[in-house]
Amino acid sequence: MTATAQSPVDRSFDPISISTLDFWRAPFDERDKTFAQLRQERPVSWHPNMDFSYIEQSTPGFWAVVGHQDIQDISRNPKVFSSAEGTMLGDTPEFLSLPSSSFLNMDDPRHARLRKLVSVAFTPKRIAQFEVRLAGRATEIVDELIDRGDCDFVQNVARQLPMWSISEFMGVPQGQRHIASHAADLQASGGIDPSLNEGLEPLEAIKKSVGTLRGIGMGLAEQRRWHGEEDLITGLVNAEIDGESLTDSEIGAFCNLLSVAGNDTTRNTISHAMLALTNNPDQRQLLIDDFDRYIDSAVEEFLRWGTAVMTFRRTTTEATEIAGVPIAAGEKVVMFYNSGNRDDAAFTNPHTFDITRDPNPHLSFGGGGAHFCLGTMLARTQLKAIFRELFTRLPKLEVSDPQLMLSTFIHGVNSMPCTLNK
Amino acid sequence: MKIDLNHDLCVGTGYCEMKAPKYFEIDDDGDNNVLQETVDEADLEQVQAAVSACPTGALRLTD
Repeated sequence: MTATAQSPVDRSFDPISISTLDFWRAPFDERDKTFAQLRQERPVSWHPNMDFSYIEQSTPGFWAVVGHQDIQDISRNPKVFSSAEGTMLGDTPEFLSLPSSSFLNMDDPRHARLRKLVSVAFTPKRIAQFEVRLAGRATEIVDELIDRGDCDFVQNVARQLPMWSISEFMGVPQGQRHIASHAADLQASGGIDPSLNEGLEPLEAIKKSVGTLRGIGMGLAEQRRWHGEEDLITGLVNAEIDGESLTDSEIGAFCNLLSVAGNDTTRNTISHAMLALTNNPDQRQLLIDDFDRYIDSAVEEFLRWGTAVMTFRRTTTEATEIAGVPIAAGEKVVMFYNSGNRDDAAFTNPHTFDITRDPNPHLSFGGGGAHFCLGTMLARTQLKAIFRELFTRLPKLEVSDPQLMLSTFIHGVNSMPCTLNK
Repeated sequence: MKIDLNHDLCVGTGYCEMKAPKYFEIDDDGDNNVLQETVDEADLEQVQAAVSACPTGALRLTD
């Protein structure tokens, strides 16, 4: 400690506003002009709570951390920057904490033990075993697209492979997959997107979504106790922590977390990548001309460019400082991955979509550390499989006019027409 | 050179196994097994790549 943090009540808010619904309605590139100014002038800045917070907030505001290196430092220091007080940008009601977030909103050691129950299903060997079936499903999706013709890319392509993959892993039956996938969208938007929340108040919308996904998980747990399958829910039912089985409620929380993490991230990365490839025909041609040579670096650029997860929050457990700015104990610190992924201290020409970019230390799976995304290999495998099918069979496919999700959490595309140009 | 794995930091992402499968394996319990602790001269580059790829900073090379 070199300086003492001011009381949050006396502290004045940053003159740049990122806390209004209007700000988040603007497109990503527009918002990044604001983040670029913060990166340049005040990489750690103090902001009022969102003007659309659901409940009364425990602090008068939050710290916005927008630089690549600072985000990494925070991510790798969980003793000071805790997840246990919640990881969404603002405080959320009780039902949205542990019952829906499982180990996301925990610190070690419990975080590590619960996470491992899931991570055993995502090892390199398990993903490699799954790859052939996954490629087969990608082929079917493009078969169906060719039969259907011009249509909505998000519903018919981008949604399909992530929904299938996470459902296969967890053991969600066919009839419940669409329900789970749409419930996950609603939650990803924080319930504030009027095109997703069916006219419900944001909090009611999220409650409905959490109830649906927990319900699916608890129902499956009940079935798997009687009859096990080769799936994650069966693994959870049979697991023990300190000699105790998980409760159905805990398994419901896993199901909620994995449904959002497994559906909305990869789906939106596919959509943003397809849009970027349409808007950058030279990059697209490069990939089509030598797919095997460029696909690995292209996938990393898809991840950076799309930044499907824009924010996660930590809460300080003690007084500390970030980039020389004193932060008191118990304060909210929000990491803006969207900004870190456009930081010119980490990326040359960060606003250029470059599928040959190397190195590409993007933050789209987090900034490292204990909470690093556990589905990275599944995500990469899906991205490779779907773009291989799309560009081998439909090299002139184009998308346009994306309808973006309103959210401070997920950089989402709700719909986006595609033309096959066969 | 020897591989030093910090089990407290490792979360089993498997990035090391992807870079240097001769040296690392995430087993069926999700644990990282170092298959060979001493790095062969010829493999130094790939093991260094595995060390720097680790997203949780759990790997180091020691003399």
